[in-house]
Amino acid sequence: MKKITDERLILRNLQNTRIAHVVQTIGILFILGYNFFQGGLEEMRGNPLWLVFMLTMVVYLYLTMSVSVEHEKKIKNPKKSFMISLIGLIIISVIVGYLVSISSSSDGMTGVLLGFILFICCFIPLYYIYRLRVKQKQDFENK
Amino acid sequence: MKNQVKLARVKVDLTQQQLADVVGITRQTVSLIEKGKYNPSLKLCLQICYAVNEKLDKIFWIEQEDFE
Repeated sequence: MKKITDERLILRNLQNTRIAHVVQTIGILFILGYNFFQGGLEEMRGNPLWLVFMLTMVVYLYLTMSVSVEHEKKIKNPKKSFMISLIGLIIISVIVGYLVSISSSSDGMTGVLLGFILFICCFIPLYYIYRLRVKQKQDFENK
Repeated sequence: MKNQVKLARVKVDLTQQQLADVVGITRQTVSLIEKGKYNPSLKLCLQICYAVNEKLDKIFWIEQEDFE
């Protein structure tokens, strides 16, 4: 098979890939939905498709982040917005951790663990956006 | 977008297929460009200009009042 060099066809191929992706996502959601109604949350999460779906979504969201940072009209001060988000995140993590630890079904350790996991899970994208904004600011200043 | 690709191509006596082969695209794309139904990238515009020995502003230029 010859490699396609025609830019119009390359673009069309990409658009076709997008359609295939939509169909695939709908299919995965249907299968997971079926699992959910059959055996609940545990059954759904036991399906390897769940892992594939989550991984795809995480990759997609990270890629979207770089687009949305470039889409921002005003160049924000990366450090300031990072600090504000970080403080917000710490407060939310502490509140969630506290609420879980005082709930009757779990002990204090679970609350601390859950708060910590929440903190780590949100800290990574925050830091990623911070790095993107720093890079964007540097690019802007180099101009 | 309107352009002068067809005129320039006929001037250097090339068929759509020949121009397509020189530039490395398909005949259908050449046809769509000539009809103004596909906007080529700047790179492809330049390649077409080289193939028909014309300047970019001769082939892919339209006055502001004719724009859109």
